[in-house]
Amino acid sequence: MANNVSAHAPSPNSRSAAVLDTYREVVTPEGVALHLPAAGPVPRALAWAIDLAIRMVVLSIVSMVVALLGVAGYGPYLIVMFVVFWFYPVLFEVLDHGRTPGKRALGLRVIAANGAPVGWLAAFIRNLLRTVDMLPFGYAAGLVASLADPWGRRLGDMVAGTLVVHDARQHEPQAAPVGVALAPAVALLPHEQAALVAFAERGPQLTQERQAELADLAEPLVQARGTLAVARLYGVANWLLGRR
Amino acid sequence: MRQETFVQRHQAEWTALEQWLDARAGNARKARAHRREWHGLPDHAMPERYRRLCQQLALARRRGYSPVVTDRLQQLMQRGHGVLYRTPPPRWRRAVEFLLAGFPRLVRAEAGVMLAALALFAVPLVAIFVAIQLQPDLSSALFDPVQLAGFEQMYDPADPSRDLGRDNGTDLAMFGHYIWNNISIGFRTFASGLVAGLGTILVLLSNGLIIGGVAGHLQAVGHGDPFWRFVCGHAAFELTAIVIAGGAGLRLGLNLIAPGQRHRIDALVEGGRRGGLLCVGVLVMLVVAAFIEAFWSSIGWMPAWIKYSVAAALWLAVLVWLFAGGRNRLYADDGLAPGLGA
Repeated sequence: MANNVSAHAPSPNSRSAAVLDTYREVVTPEGVALHLPAAGPVPRALAWAIDLAIRMVVLSIVSMVVALLGVAGYGPYLIVMFVVFWFYPVLFEVLDHGRTPGKRALGLRVIAANGAPVGWLAAFIRNLLRTVDMLPFGYAAGLVASLADPWGRRLGDMVAGTLVVHDARQHEPQAAPVGVALAPAVALLPHEQAALVAFAERGPQLTQERQAELADLAEPLVQARGTLAVARLYGVANWLLGRR
Repeated sequence: MRQETFVQRHQAEWTALEQWLDARAGNARKARAHRREWHGLPDHAMPERYRRLCQQLALARRRGYSPVVTDRLQQLMQRGHGVLYRTPPPRWRRAVEFLLAGFPRLVRAEAGVMLAALALFAVPLVAIFVAIQLQPDLSSALFDPVQLAGFEQMYDPADPSRDLGRDNGTDLAMFGHYIWNNISIGFRTFASGLVAGLGTILVLLSNGLIIGGVAGHLQAVGHGDPFWRFVCGHAAFELTAIVIAGGAGLRLGLNLIAPGQRHRIDALVEGGRRGGLLCVGVLVMLVVAAFIEAFWSSIGWMPAWIKYSVAAALWLAVLVWLFAGGRNRLYADDGLAPGLGA
């Protein structure tokens, strides 16, 4: 683990208030919390299966080439098998920013537990310890560990100090529609303000019915239902955004 | 400050940082080569800009700005964090330095577990060897008759094909076999230490029993000469590598059981880091062993005295390397293989 990063695994009670989330919160040296969305066993198992298929294909191609060479090809084949078995994930994880082809397909990434990119040694250790995660069969130990761990880490991840996270989904940021500003009837708390602005920003991507349905929840605030409530909420959001 | 004003005020800064990350943050060498063609944010300004961004993100969160702003800033920050705190690429010089100095130092630093691993491996080996000399029937309790016949046939002094050794194709095939088989065993010896050290102990004991049993049996039935001539050379690297991998595994298991005044997870991470570094050395040792085993040990016609002198030289080299390597250097313990940083 890089010594220059003072970030440390937070104790369970310092996790964010959103208990149901699988974010791992890491405080960087700058004093700002990074939210790392940890990945659970299912997408990781799928990524592993894809990688396994790729490895099988590589090995069968190599074995076909090698079959033409006779006995002389047997040695190189075993060396290729050694590299593919032990170093395929290490090489990809370090050289492709924490992603093997399978992880790339599933939108996963291995990072150090402090949010930094994974280094050679950490990648080597976490993949060496697959041996233990596979015990007694079919990654059972790894599955139990990742179900018990709040961040879905298998044993190798814990020892190597790494974490598998979901890549941030790229969605274009959209500004809330500009319109009339409307002062809210009561003073709103910060998280309420944030929720309203978030609604205004995401609302246009939803259907009319869904917008109205959501806006109905805010009836006490805007004293209306349906499309009128939607319009009023957009107005309040505009006011909160400072367009007045 | 309202969100819109905030975004308007800092938009240009964020875009500049984004462009810098897109263009300059990938390959450090390429970035150096093209530094004159870059006219955006200068490289030296990046840390400062990154810290400003962190402050802005903290402000945005505190003031409850919407996810459109905070998510974007968080993503930017994550990318900046990755660049600023990435581990330096490994360098050849440092890798050689690690092998010559850092690795022997690390082995000596773990002398306790290394001795334990040596005992777990060597005691059953010697014991079973001696026992079979006294009571040759014992070997049939260890192996079934087909296996015994196989060993005997492999090292039969009367077999004329052994005199000339193998042809090159077979040598290469055996090299691949030793790489795949022996290094995998070495790695598993370390990794299975995570099962409270039990896995490592089992591997060491069983390897000691099997190797001692085979050697004892061949000695007892009179096939000792070709056997010793074959194994003496590569044993220097192979047996020490297995003991070192075992020591690394025991260290890991010990850190799990008795973490001392640390969090168990911190002790495990430390044990894993040291074990991983030891495994890098074990990997190199076993590659050397496989090379010797495939291309030197297999030469059948070589007179015994040459084989035994080379073996003595190899043993001496390994022991000098492990006991003296890195003693003359100012080499901070936590600076072990800095390029490999976990």
